[in-house]
Amino acid sequence: MKGYEFKEDILIINRELTDLDHFVDDFLNILKSHSDYLIVNGFVSISTGRVRGTEDVDVLVPIMDKSHFKTMFEDLLKNKFWCYQTDSYSEAYTYFKKFNSLRFAREGEMFPNMEVVPIDETKKAKYFEFSNPQKIKIKNFEFKIPWLEFEIIYKEKVLGSKKDFEDAKHLRTFFSEVLNKQKFDKSLEAIKNEIS
Amino acid sequence: MKFHKDEDYIVYYSNQLKNDSKLFSQHKKFLESQMEASRSLFSNIKRDSFKKFARVYLKGRGIIC
Repeated sequence: MKGYEFKEDILIINRELTDLDHFVDDFLNILKSHSDYLIVNGFVSISTGRVRGTEDVDVLVPIMDKSHFKTMFEDLLKNKFWCYQTDSYSEAYTYFKKFNSLRFAREGEMFPNMEVVPIDETKKAKYFEFSNPQKIKIKNFEFKIPWLEFEIIYKEKVLGSKKDFEDAKHLRTFFSEVLNKQKFDKSLEAIKNEIS
Repeated sequence: MKFHKDEDYIVYYSNQLKNDSKLFSQHKKFLESQMEASRSLFSNIKRDSFKKFARVYLKGRGIIC
């Protein structure tokens, strides 16, 4: 069987679920009831077959008001996640509203963790990827990632570490038959201000 | 097969994986061994002092400030 296929625009990865998938799925099941989201960066490569370690899974979350944030934060704590920075929703919100990431792990564990990255329209590149999601499914675990083309070009042109180039190489090779030039061009346009 | 750079191995592996999903079993083994190692890293810390200890550790590593 091929490693992946597309069914009705959903990218299906033909593999079994891992413990890391279950961790991300558990977190997203709580998060999704409070907010939209987008999984980005390393987990995109890892979930599609890249074999490497990771400590954190990045998830973009739009800025929300304090009362909405309180409900989400308390629901995460009630469901056995803890926040690295603080147990207080009010203190956590001061980080969040200043666009600082918050990290959550399972109670009694430090790694892996979910890194919640706040965004809004002023974060041009992040908002672009957030607004152009690709659905991906592994067994019954469905979640949203950026366009593969955006993920590749962002890793190559903006992030640029050895690990990022290797992730991009995996994505370019594994998905070589489906990558789309127009999506590359649009993604490049979206990140042009972040390229040094 | 001889690989001269890490990148050569990534291209070879990703091409194999593209055409044979059975190779995902190796991927699963690797990820789960890493999860197991992560879980056991601080498993000897008492539950009630875990967060306090963890926050000191995370500040020391510069992960939180």
